[in-house]
Amino acid sequence: MNENLFASFIAPTILGLPAAVLIILLPPLLIPTSKYLINNRLITTQQWLIKLTSKQMMTMHNTKGRTWSLMLVSLIIFIATTNLLGLLPYSFTPTTQLSMNLAMAIPLWAGAVIMGFRSKIKNALAHFLPQGTPTPLIPMLVIIETISLLIQPMALAVRLTANITAGHLLMHLIGSATLAMSTINLPSTPIIFTILILLTILEIAVALIQAYVFTLLVSLYLHDNT
Amino acid sequence: MLSRVVLSAAATAAPSLKNAAFLGPGVLQATRTFHTGQPHLVPVPPLPEYGGKVRYGLIPEEFFQFLYPKTGPYVLGTGLILYALSKEIYVISAETFTALSVLGVMVYGIKKYGPFVADFADKLNEQKLAQLEEAKQASIQHIQNAIDTEKSQQALVQKRHYLFDVQRNNIAMALEVTYRERLYRVYKEVKNRLDYHISVQNMMRRKEQEHMINWVEKHVVQSISTQQEKETIAKCIADLKLLAKKAQAQPVM
Repeated sequence: MNENLFASFIAPTILGLPAAVLIILLPPLLIPTSKYLINNRLITTQQWLIKLTSKQMMTMHNTKGRTWSLMLVSLIIFIATTNLLGLLPYSFTPTTQLSMNLAMAIPLWAGAVIMGFRSKIKNALAHFLPQGTPTPLIPMLVIIETISLLIQPMALAVRLTANITAGHLLMHLIGSATLAMSTINLPSTPIIFTILILLTILEIAVALIQAYVFTLLVSLYLHDNT
Repeated sequence: MLSRVVLSAAATAAPSLKNAAFLGPGVLQATRTFHTGQPHLVPVPPLPEYGGKVRYGLIPEEFFQFLYPKTGPYVLGTGLILYALSKEIYVISAETFTALSVLGVMVYGIKKYGPFVADFADKLNEQKLAQLEEAKQASIQHIQNAIDTEKSQQALVQKRHYLFDVQRNNIAMALEVTYRERLYRVYKEVKNRLDYHISVQNMMRRKEQEHMINWVEKHVVQSISTQQEKETIAKCIADLKLLAKKAQAQPVM
């Protein structure tokens, strides 16, 4: 039971070779490009969605921030598709691995912060002290703000990992509960099954929301620093 | 590549041309010709309008057609599933129920919202086509308007001679009026001069008359002697007395 519970989070290997790379490379295959104006329904809906999200996300940035638009849009699409594909049975979700999320979060956050420190150092340093603090509190507040800044990439990565991992674990647990219930007391299985269905709907929402939150926070850090 | 050989041969043959070697790569790129062959796939073949038919969203129809002469595909499917389950090739585990719920939710979502999304995508494409159609129609309309304007202008040109006639008449009238005005002015000027001469003549005549009268009066007055004057005055007084007596008698009646 214990082994099976976390079995879905082991980085998959095929004969000792990491297949995680192939799994991470799968989602782009599901988003076709097209050189025609009028496409099939899949490409049309995908293009419309991407246009909607990119417009929604990038309106609040200035010209310098908008140079990141390709990065942010591909980020949200990658996280959303990876999370949604992970809901399929017997699949592996790369975003459950803390290593991958750290690899996504730290460079993006560091890039935004370093960009801010290089261009507008006074504005970047001003974030360390909120407005209107009484004078005796200033040293402590600066320390707190510094810690809060340095913890941002960790929070980004751990948030995504924890949410997706927790969701998957919960689904697995309730699935095994249904399995156990089906042998103990078959008529009460539908109740648990209903919970599972509700949880699935929640997981779909969580998958999308986490992608959104990740990208939104990165874009927020960008906005602060451009 | 042959052109490069030619260039190097030319450089060795004529040392003055060695400086031309700097132009070599550029010349090479300029002489390398592109797009000389016949293009493949002209015009670009159209995409099929509908994808291949599938059953249950996964298995293409051709698979069923392939199996029908040999064995029923449903029987084959059921057999395979039961074989996998009974031999525990596929183990029923917690994952099974997760799979059931996920696939159930997905199928429900697709069945319920599938047509809506399809119509939405179709509407998006139709909007794009409508925009292009609108542009085309606007362009055609614009050109049609230009043609109509041109035609009406041509029709107007046919009637232009009316305008010219009217203008000609106007100008002729204006010339006539000016001519008559000037004629009148000339007439007045001439009359003025002639009147002047006439008035001068009249004045001379009057002056002469007056002069003659004055001269005659003066001499007459001079010729009246004193004796004659007294006699004349006495006669006048006698006449007046007679008249006075006659006059007094009358009012009594």
